[in-house]
Amino acid sequence: MFKIILSKSKNKFICFISSIFIMLMPNLVWADTVNILGLFPFSGPYADSGKLLDEGAQIALEEVGYEINGKKIKYITRDSETKAGPAARRAQEAIDTEGVNFIVGPWSSGVALAVTEVAKKNKVMYYFSGGTEDISGKKCHKYAFMWAANAWTAMDADLKIFKKANPDAKKIYLFVVDYAFGWTLQKYVESLAPKYGLEVVGVDRHPLGHREYSTFITKAMSKNPDAVYMINFGLDAISAVRQLNNFGFTPKKPVVMSWSSGFEELIQLDPAARENLIVGSNYYYTIDNPDNKKFVEAYKKRHNGVPPGYAPAAGYGLMKMTLLGMQKSKSVEPQKVITALEEHKGKNFVGEYEIRGRNHQTVRPFFVLQTKKQKDMKDQYDMAEVVDVSSTEQPKNINMCSDIGKF
Amino acid sequence: MTFLILSQILNGLGLGMLYALVGVGLTLILGVLNIPNFAHGVLYALGAYFAYSIAKMTGSFYFAIFLSPLLVVLVGFLLESQGVRRLYQAHHDYQLLFLFACALIIQEIIIIIWGPIGFSLLPPPSLSGALDLGILIYPKYRLVLICFAFFMIICLYLFLTKTNLGAILRAGIENRDMVKVLGINVNIVFLYTFGLGAYLAGLAGALSAPIMGLTPSMGLDILPICFVVVVIAGLGSIPGAIVAGILIGLSQGAATIWFPEATNVVIYLMMGLTIIFRPQGLFGVR
Repeated sequence: MFKIILSKSKNKFICFISSIFIMLMPNLVWADTVNILGLFPFSGPYADSGKLLDEGAQIALEEVGYEINGKKIKYITRDSETKAGPAARRAQEAIDTEGVNFIVGPWSSGVALAVTEVAKKNKVMYYFSGGTEDISGKKCHKYAFMWAANAWTAMDADLKIFKKANPDAKKIYLFVVDYAFGWTLQKYVESLAPKYGLEVVGVDRHPLGHREYSTFITKAMSKNPDAVYMINFGLDAISAVRQLNNFGFTPKKPVVMSWSSGFEELIQLDPAARENLIVGSNYYYTIDNPDNKKFVEAYKKRHNGVPPGYAPAAGYGLMKMTLLGMQKSKSVEPQKVITALEEHKGKNFVGEYEIRGRNHQTVRPFFVLQTKKQKDMKDQYDMAEVVDVSSTEQPKNINMCSDIGKF
Repeated sequence: MTFLILSQILNGLGLGMLYALVGVGLTLILGVLNIPNFAHGVLYALGAYFAYSIAKMTGSFYFAIFLSPLLVVLVGFLLESQGVRRLYQAHHDYQLLFLFACALIIQEIIIIIWGPIGFSLLPPPSLSGALDLGILIYPKYRLVLICFAFFMIICLYLFLTKTNLGAILRAGIENRDMVKVLGINVNIVFLYTFGLGAYLAGLAGALSAPIMGLTPSMGLDILPICFVVVVIAGLGSIPGAIVAGILIGLSQGAATIWFPEATNVVIYLMMGLTIIFRPQGLFGVR
C-alpha cells in the first residue's frame, strides 16, 4: 500500500516538474531569438498579395542574415485571410505560442484595426502599411506604426496631378470600396476636391471583393463625369478598370486609381486597358536611389527579372523599419525599439522619411504615375512614369491622434 | 433614369446569363448524381485559363472559346471516373471533402502553372469597344455574350427535351433508381452528366474572361453564386436555374441603382427569402 502511495506521489511530482519545464521551455527557447510575425493575406480577396508581401519581408531579413544584435531572427507567418476575426485570433495565437514580439502586416485596413488592438493589449510592436488613417489617427497607440503615406497626403497628390493633367475637368465620380480604407480616402477626396475646382457628382460604394462593375459603370456614365476616381485596391481596381475600358470610358476619359499597388495592378491589365490612367501608389520600382536598386535587383533575381510592386515593397519596408529600430536601440525589446524609432529621420529605398513621435506616422514620399501608351513603352514592364512625388504632411489639426499614450 | 434602368437591365441579363450557364451545370450534376459539386468553381476557372493560353498560342479568341470548355470536359471526366464514382455509395461528407480538396488542389495547380498574379484576355478587335444603341452605349462583347449565352441555353433546352440522352438525364433527375431498373448504364449517364456540367462551367469561365479577367481565386468567387442559383431554382431544375440566374443578375443591377453597397447582399437576401417562403425553390418539387 505504502509503495502504491509513494508511487502515486512520485508520479504527481514528475508531472508537476514536467509541467513547470513545459511552461518555461518556450521562454528558454525564445530568449535566444527575436520572434517576428508576418501576418499577411494568403487567402481571401487580397490573396494575390500575401506571398509577395512575405517575399519582401524575407528579402529584408536575408540582408541581415536572419540575425540582429547577436540574436537569431525567427520569422513566422500567419494567414490573415483578409478577415478581422481570424487575423486577430492568429496574431494572439502567435504571441502566446511562438513568443512573437513584433508584427508586420496585415495589408487590409479593416483587418489592421483589429490587429492593432491585439498589439496594444499584448505590448507587441506593430508596423502596418495601408490606407486607413486610424492607425496613426484616432486608434493610435504607443505600439503601432504606419508605413504607408497618410491618406490625406495621397489624395491631395492624386487630385493635384489629375487636375494638372486635365485642367478642364470639373466633375468626378467615385467608386469606393465599402470598408475602413475606402471610407477614409473618400472623406479626404470629398474635402479636397473643391480646392482643385472639382465637384464629386456621385459616389458608389461597392463590397470588397466585387468583380462585376457594369452596373456601377453605367450608373456613373449617366452623370457624365470627366473622370472616374477609384478608391479601391487589387483585383477590385483591376476589374473596374478593365470594364471601364470595355464600356469605352477609357481611354477617352481618364480614370484615377487613387491608392494602387502600382506595378502589380498595371501588369494584370492589357496595354489597351491601361491607357489614360493616373495611378497613386506608395511605391514604384523606378525610384532612383541605390537602396531601391538593391531591393529591385534582389526581387528580380527571385522572379526572373520581373520588378517588384507595392506589395513586396511594403513587406520589405515594414521589415526594414522594424529591424532599423532594433539596430538603433541595440535591443530587441519592443519598448526600446519603439522609442528609438520615434522622431527618427532617415533615407531608405523610397526616399527621405521621418517618423512622427506624436502619432507614429511615417512621413514619406507618395508617388503619382501616368500610364504610358503601348507605343511609348520601352519594354513590357515600362508601363508608367512617375509624374509627381509628394511628401506633403497631413495638417496637424486634422490628425485625430490626440494622445499616443504611454507604454 | 430610362438610360440607367435600360442599361441595368442589359447588365443584369449579361450577368444573369453567365450565372445561368454555371448554375445549370451545377444543378444538372446535383440533380442526376445527387452530389453538390464543390469543384464546379475551379472548372469555371480552368475554362478561363485554358481559353487564355489557347488564345495566346493560336491568336484566335474564337478557337479558344470553342476548345477550352472541351478541355474542361476532359478534366470533368477524369474527376468523375477516377474519384467521384468511387464515392457514390459513401456518405455525403466524403463526397464533399473529396470535391472540396479537388477544388483547392486545382486552384493551387493554376497558381503553379500560371502564377498568383492575374491576366487579362481581350476580346477580338471585332468585338472590342462599345456600340451606340441610340438611347445608350453598350460594350459589343457584352451584347454578343448575352446573345451567345441565350443561344447556348436554347441548345441545351433542345438537347434535354428532344434527344434520347436528354430524356435519360431528365429521368435521372426525377428518379435515378427507375433509370437503373430500365437497364440503362448509369455510370455512363453520370459520366456524361458530369462532363456536360463541366462543359457549361468551362464555357462560362471562358466567356467571362474578357469581362472579369483571370485570377486563381475566380473559381472560389463564383461558387457561392452557383449554389444560390441552385437553391433559388430548386434542386435539379434546369429552367429554374436559367430563371434564377437572370433574376440574380437583374436584382444586382437594380440594387446598384438604389443601394450599391448591397449588390452582393441582395444575392443572399433572395436566397434567404426563397428558403423561407418556398423551400423547394421556384421550380423545384423536392
